Amino acid sequence: MCLKRFDVTCQIISNKEICTNYFELKIKAGSIAKYCLPGQFFMIGVPGVFLRRPISVYDSKKSVLSFLYKVVGKGTVILSKMCSGQLQILGPLGKGYDLEICKDLNYVVVAGGTGIASLHFLATKLGKNKPYKKKGTLYYGARSKKDLLCLDKFKEIGWKVLVSTEDGSKGYEGYITDILEKKVKDSDVLFACGPMPMLKKVVQIAKEKKVKGFASLEEKMACGVGNCQGCAVNINGAIKMTCKDGPVFKIEEVNL
Amino acid sequence: MVFCMKPSLAIDFMGIKLKNPVLTASGTFGYGYELADLIPLNKLGAIVTKTITLEPKSGNLQPRIAEVSSGLLNTIGLQNIGAKAFIKEPLENLSKVGVPIIVSVAGSCVKEYVQTVEILSAQDIISAIELNLSCPNLKKKIVCHDLPLTDEVIKSVKKVSKVPVIAKLSPLVTDIAELALCVQKAGANGVTLANTYPAMAIDVKTFKYKLSTVRGGVSGACVKPMSVRCVYDAYQNIDIPIVGCGGIETGEDVLEFMLAGARVVSVGSASLVSPTRLIGIMSEMEEILNERKIKDIKEVVGMLNTIKNAC
Ligand SMILES: Cc1cc2nc3c(=O)[nH]c(=O)nc-3n(C[C@H](O)[C@H](O)[C@H](O)COP(=O)(O)OP(=O)(O)OC[C@H]3O[C@@H](n4cnc5c(N)ncnc54)[C@H](O)[C@@H]3O)c2cc1C
Ligand SMILES: Cc1cc2nc3c(=O)[nH]c(=O)nc-3n(C[C@H](O)[C@H](O)[C@H](O)COP(=O)(O)O)c2cc1C
Repeated sequence: MCLKRFDVTCQIISNKEICTNYFELKIKAGSIAKYCLPGQFFMIGVPGVFLRRPISVYDSKKSVLSFLYKVVGKGTVILSKMCSGQLQILGPLGKGYDLEICKDLNYVVVAGGTGIASLHFLATKLGKNKPYKKKGTLYYGARSKKDLLCLDKFKEIGWKVLVSTEDGSKGYEGYITDILEKKVKDSDVLFACGPMPMLKKVVQIAKEKKVKGFASLEEKMACGVGNCQGCAVNINGAIKMTCKDGPVFKIEEVNL
Repeated sequence: MVFCMKPSLAIDFMGIKLKNPVLTASGTFGYGYELADLIPLNKLGAIVTKTITLEPKSGNLQPRIAEVSSGLLNTIGLQNIGAKAFIKEPLENLSKVGVPIIVSVAGSCVKEYVQTVEILSAQDIISAIELNLSCPNLKKKIVCHDLPLTDEVIKSVKKVSKVPVIAKLSPLVTDIAELALCVQKAGANGVTLANTYPAMAIDVKTFKYKLSTVRGGVSGACVKPMSVRCVYDAYQNIDIPIVGCGGIETGEDVLEFMLAGARVVSVGSASLVSPTRLIGIMSEMEEILNERKIKDIKEVVGMLNTIKNAC
């Protein structure tokens, strides 16, 4: 598929709180939706703050684009209060996950917090398409039961789901990387997205156990297209831009 | 019926013919060609590239960006591929765009500025050089805070440059009009007012600085009134054309800078947020000119600023 980017204004379809502090935003995106790949993101304009906010594609079906975001600061607070009207979006941006690699292999995805958003989009693509013969496994860590999102969606497409919570309110009590460390040897490819401490551990585990994979990184960014050079990251000794060269990088190449 | 003729936005800048006075701002538009799929680059007045140095630079540590009210702080640290790499692929890509190319140059000493300009100004497709004089020198002092050094940089660069030279100044000086006059006397063909304003921010949630280098430069809507003032004061003191820069987001903002004395403008942070702003600005300018029944944008330059100091 050819890559195409858009800087346009779109209509909000809905923006609902799916559980405390987490919102699912749906916008009418016309043909843009079909250009989105798992792992890519949009810079979303929020009235009242200067910079746009990078948010991953959570789902794209027909002409509807969905995002899953957590309310954390000024911009997402304002965004969460918009139920109708228009939003300015720039995207889809960046390089996403490499799906091709999964063809005959066992793959797992490791999600922490809102990292589940881009991995959900990845799972829907892997679940539907013929060449990916095997079913995946989701390793999903969150603070507590109420922070676990869209587990049903992964189960619907037949994935095995393993969860952990820091407070033990659901699944294993502790970090998801504790489980991953024990079980990762059964898998061939790993996709990870989540907070930095989790990613660091995942990268370490993957390198130790020699499992190849991809990690999606987050850095502060102003433009999302590589022009401001704000989101620099060290990849294999070279300076790369998270927004343009990533946000998804090969695990072998990242040094977190 | 309203009879409406399209006003002319074409303007002459240091002898270079521009389709309109809207330029990109250095460091906010990459090497200049990367967004060709998002906006029609050939509609721009001119493209100003990110600052190029003699040797490649890897830039500063993270975090390099922090949002503030109506603007942003940055401390990129002039990350770039260096002059020799720039004249290969980037310049080749730029040569296909079809608008004048202005290359921003910085150095940590006179020799570096001169050598970089020698390499760049020998390239046919480069129409002008913009000297970034707001970067730190070897003694970590901002170049244009050192008048003798500024004078020497401009004079030396002028000796080797085959194209016009613009001096881009830091606004944080005691008397911007006097500094503008100094660079004119040193031989600059134009002056950009202004670069970012030294600034900093602290995250009170974490008790940490928001930028890795503590201090950075602030840009965006919040700096516009200060940069308009810089243009206004400098215009009264100099004859060389001014590139107005700071917080421009709309056609109205462009006209504000031009009424104060800017001949052309450069748009930075707003184009980071939305690249299509660069194009939207132009029709907004035309609308304003139509409303005021002004046929030619050139009439607006310094229209309100009639004071001229004897210089
Ligand atoms: C490629 C990418 C994809 C992302 N996808 C998602 C997603 O799908 N769902 C989700 O909930 N969040 C996602 N994030 C994180 C999201 O961008 C931030 O939570 C959001 O920008 C916070 O904005 P705020 O105004 O609420 O917070 P504030 O802290 O007030 O924001 C201040 C500034 O810091 C930036 N910032 C704050 N946190 C982050 C962060 N973690 N990463 C990058 N910039 C940050 C903001 O963009 C803004 O410029 C993603 C980040 C990146 C880089
Ligand atoms: C991320 C960023 C990087 C910049 N890099 C440069 C640079 O390399 N050289 C330079 O002369 N100015 C640089 N600037 C300053 C801009 O060119 C411009 O002078 C300033 O941002 C004010 O304009 P604005 O408010 O429209 O952004 C940079 C600004 C930003 C925001």
